[in-house]
Amino acid sequence: MENNGNSTSVLVIGAGIAGIEASLLLANSGAKVYLVEKASYFGGNVIKWEEVFPNMECATCMIAPKQQELLQNENIKLLTLSQVEAVQGSVGDFTAKVKKKARYVDLENCIGCNECFEPCPVEVDNEFEERLSKRKAIYIPCAGALPNAPVIDTDNCLRFKGEDCQLCQEACMFEAIDYTQQDEELELKVGAIVVATGFKTFDLTQTPQYGYKKLNNVYSIVEVERICASNGPTEGQIVLQNGEAPKSVAIIHCIGREEKGYCSSVCCMASIKQAHFLKNKLPAVKIAQLYSELCIPGRTYQKFYEEVKESGVDFIRATVNEVTQQGTGLAIKYKTEDGKENTLNVDMLILAPAIEPETDSSKLAEILAIPQDEHGFFSEKEPDLDSVDTSREGIFIAGCAQSPKDVPDTVAEAEATVGRILSLSR
Amino acid sequence: MAKKIGVYVCECGNNIADNVDIDRVIKALSPLRDVAVVEKYRLLCSEDGKEFLKQSIIDHELTHLVVAACSPKQHEHTFMSVCVAASLNPYLFQMANIREQCAWVTPDKEEATDKAIRQIAAAIARVAYNEALEKKDIDVYPDVLVIGGGITGIKATHVLASPDRKVYLVEKSSSLGGKVKGFDKLFTKMESGSALIEKELKNLREDENIEVFTDSEVEQILGFFGNFEVKVVKKATNEELNFNVGAVVLATGFDLMDPKGLPQYGYGKLDDVYTSLEFEEMNVPGGSTGGKILLKNGNPPKSVAIIHCVGREDKGYCSKVCCMYSLKSARMLKAQLPGVKVSQLYSDLCIPGKAYQKFYEETKGLGVEFIRADKTNVTQNGKGITVKYESKSGPKGDLAADMVILVPAMEPSSDTNKFAEMLSIPIDNEGFLAQEHQKLAPVASSVEGVFVVGCAQGPKNISESIVQSEAAAGKILSTLVPGRKLELEVKTSEISETFCTGCKTCISVCPYSAISFDDFRKISVVNEALCHGCGVCAAACPSGAARVKNFAFTQIYQEVEALLK
Repeated sequence: MENNGNSTSVLVIGAGIAGIEASLLLANSGAKVYLVEKASYFGGNVIKWEEVFPNMECATCMIAPKQQELLQNENIKLLTLSQVEAVQGSVGDFTAKVKKKARYVDLENCIGCNECFEPCPVEVDNEFEERLSKRKAIYIPCAGALPNAPVIDTDNCLRFKGEDCQLCQEACMFEAIDYTQQDEELELKVGAIVVATGFKTFDLTQTPQYGYKKLNNVYSIVEVERICASNGPTEGQIVLQNGEAPKSVAIIHCIGREEKGYCSSVCCMASIKQAHFLKNKLPAVKIAQLYSELCIPGRTYQKFYEEVKESGVDFIRATVNEVTQQGTGLAIKYKTEDGKENTLNVDMLILAPAIEPETDSSKLAEILAIPQDEHGFFSEKEPDLDSVDTSREGIFIAGCAQSPKDVPDTVAEAEATVGRILSLSR
Repeated sequence: MAKKIGVYVCECGNNIADNVDIDRVIKALSPLRDVAVVEKYRLLCSEDGKEFLKQSIIDHELTHLVVAACSPKQHEHTFMSVCVAASLNPYLFQMANIREQCAWVTPDKEEATDKAIRQIAAAIARVAYNEALEKKDIDVYPDVLVIGGGITGIKATHVLASPDRKVYLVEKSSSLGGKVKGFDKLFTKMESGSALIEKELKNLREDENIEVFTDSEVEQILGFFGNFEVKVVKKATNEELNFNVGAVVLATGFDLMDPKGLPQYGYGKLDDVYTSLEFEEMNVPGGSTGGKILLKNGNPPKSVAIIHCVGREDKGYCSKVCCMYSLKSARMLKAQLPGVKVSQLYSDLCIPGKAYQKFYEETKGLGVEFIRADKTNVTQNGKGITVKYESKSGPKGDLAADMVILVPAMEPSSDTNKFAEMLSIPIDNEGFLAQEHQKLAPVASSVEGVFVVGCAQGPKNISESIVQSEAAAGKILSTLVPGRKLELEVKTSEISETFCTGCKTCISVCPYSAISFDDFRKISVVNEALCHGCGVCAAACPSGAARVKNFAFTQIYQEVEALLK
C-alpha cells in the first residue's frame, strides 16, 4: 500500500477493545503505533466474556479477527508486559519511557504448542479465571489468548526462586524458552498518546451484607462470566460448589453504587445478559433480578430486557438487607418500595458490582500529568461536551478509563481519539 | 500450460508430526493429478522454512501451491507473501489446516493421518481451479459531505476540514445549530446551548476549507466510497450544485414523538400541558415569553409536574437522555421560580455516567419531589390539572399541578427515510439508521464510506453525539488519505452476462447495494468498488450466473468431493 507521509507516532496505553480499535485505525492511516499492555496477553476485559449483549454474539469471535489483524499489522508494535514509567514533552513531541518486563519466552520462536506447561511442577491460582482454576508457573491465561505464547511467572517459578528446574525448557522443541531474557527500558518518541486503561470492578468484600467470600455460591458477575465461558474453568458448565446445577439464582444489581456515588451504566444489561445465558443453559432454572432502577439506555436494549423477562425471569424492585446461609442454600432478605419485607431462597447468588477505574490510574495520571475526577476516572477537558480530550494537549482518553460505558460507546471513543489525533497533524 | 501443484506439509515441530504419519500422507498424495512434488518441512513459517518454500516454488516451476500446516488465520498471510516473493500469484495458493482441525483434535494417529490426507487432497482439488487475481486500486476524493447542521454535524465538519480536505455541510433549515441552539441550559454545567453553538460556528466561519449550504437539500448521491457524486439544491433559488466527495456523514438528528397520539396526557387539549422542547423555548431569552416560565393566563406556575417516558412503551426503547434533561428542567424552574413545587413522575431513573448521580442528588436537594409512576393520566380540574398516577411497586395517587411538562420519546428525524433510501442504508426496527456492526462499528453504515452519527442512529446526549462525529472523522481520516489510492476487495462477485436472466434476485439480497440493473442489456451488474465478496448473491442466484471469484461452485464441489472420497 502506498503511504503518503503520515509520520505521526502514537503511544496507546492499554490493549483492550478501545486500545485495539484506536491502534488499528491509526496504523491504517500510516501512523506508527506503540501499543503498551501491562498483561502478558491482550484483549482486555472483553475476551473474558462468553457472549455480549444484546445480540449474544461470542465475544472472542468478535474480537479475535481484530487481534489477528493487529498482530499482522507492520505499523503496530505490541508491547505486552509493559508499563509507561515517564512521559515528557508536549503534543507532537512526547518522549515516553516504557518498562518491558521479560517474558522468558521468545515470541519469534514460540509457536504456542503448550508442551511446556505439562512438566511444570508448580500450581497456583489462575488470576485470569478469577482464581476459579489453577495454572502453572509457565502459562497462557486461557485457551485462545493472544499473543499465543506463554509467560513465566517469576514469583512462582522454582528456577527464579533459586531451584535448579528447567523442565519447561527441556520440553520446548523450538528453543523458545530463554531464562536469560532481561527487562528492557524503551524510549519512545511519539506525537500523541491515547489512554485506554479500562476498568476493574468494585471490591465486593467491602459490602459484607451480601456474603461475598463468606457464604458458598455467592459470585461476582465477573466470576460468572468465566463460569459461563466455554474456555473457562468449568468449560461453560454452570455448577454450584457441590457440582450440581443451580435450580434458582438471584442477581443483585447496583452493589457499591451508593459507596461510589454513580450509576455504572452497563450492569443492568450485563445482569440481564447473564440471566439470558443461564436460561439458555438451564431452561428450568428460576432467576430473580433484584434491582433499584432499571437503566437500559439505547434503542435495542429494552427489547432484550423484554425478551429475557418473558423467558420467565422475575424482576423485583427492592433493596437487599442481608444474605445468610440457609441449609445448603442462601436466604436473601429484601424490602420492596411499598415497605414490604420478604425473603428469597436461592441456590446461587450473583452480585453486580460497580465499575471503577483500573488500579494504576492514579500513578498513570501523575506520569501523564492529566487530572482525575473525584471517582478516579480520567477527566475530560470539557465535561458534557467532549469526552476524549484531556486538559493536556496531545493526550486523549477512551473507554472506561474515562467513565463506565458499554462496548459500542467505548469503540466510538477509540475512533474519536483517532479523529482528534489525525486532525492535529494537519 | 500443464499444472504443477506443489504440496508442502509442515511438521510444526512435533505438533503435527507426533499425531499425523506425514510419510504416509506424502505417499498418498504424490500420485494425485497435477501434483508435481510433495515434501515435508520441520517448521515452514520459520525464516528457513519460508526461504525453502520460495526456492521450491522457483526450482519446481510450480503453478499452484498447497501448504498443509496450521490455521490460515495464523499463517495464510505469511505464505501468500512467500508466493509473491517467488513470483507466483498468491491466489493460486491454498492452505489445509491439519493442526487445529486435525492433529490437535484427533487423538488416534491412524484416523488423524487419514483425515489429513483428505483435507490436503481437498485443498489440491480446489487449488487446481483457483484463478490468479490481481489487486486493484482506485483514486479517491478526500473531500467529505456532512448532512445535518446540528452540533454533531458541526463538530464532524470542524474536525474533518483541512487544507487538503474540503468539507461540505448541508442543512435543510435556514440556520445551523440544530436542537441545541434552542436549549437555554445544558446539563450538567447549566451553560447556554446557544453560546456553545455560537462558539462552534465561529470555528467554522474561520475555516476556508468548509463550505456551508443552509436552506438546502441533498437531492442525489451516487457512487461509492472514495467517489460519490453529490447534487445539492438551494431551496430559495433552485440553484443546483454538483460536487464529488469520498465520504458522507449523516447527522440528521432527532425529533420528539408527538404526544397528541397519546390522549391520556391531554396534550393539545388541556392548557398548560407542554412538551419538553416547548418548555425549553419558554426559557430562551429571545423566546415567545421573553424567557419567562408562564402559564397561558400569564401567571407563573406554582406547581409543575414533569412526566417522564411519554411514548416509551409505544416506541419500545428508553430514550436515554430524558431523565437527565428533566432534572435540568427542574433546576431551571427552581432557579427562576424559587417557590415552585416540582414533581418528577418517572418509572425508572436512567442516569448513567459518572457525573449524573451527583446532579440528581443536588436536584433532589433543592426540594424536587420524585414519584414512581408507571402509568399517568392527565385531566383538567377546574383551573388546574390533576395527574393520576400509579406504579406496580410504589404508591398510587393524584397530584395537582398548574403546569405539566411531557417528556416524549426521541425518534429519528423526518428526513431519515429519505437518506436511507438514497444511500441504501438499512433502517433498524426502531426506525433509526442502522450501524454496520452494533458493537464493533458504531458509526459505520453497511455502505462503505457512509457514516451514521449522533441521534440519527439512536438517542444520545451531546457528548456522545460529539464523540460519534469525531469517530466518523477518525474512520475517514485513517482511510481517505489525500494522494493515497484505495485498495479494493479482490475476491468480489461477478455475474455472467450469458447466464443472467435479469430476475434481479441478487439485487434484492445484496447487503451492500453493490449490484445494479443494466436496463439496456437486461442483466445485473456488480460494482466492484462496493462488493465485499460476501457471496449472498451467488447463493441466491437461480441461474448460477453470480459467482464469487475463487469461491466458484466448481472449486467448492471439487473440494467437497475430495473430502468425501
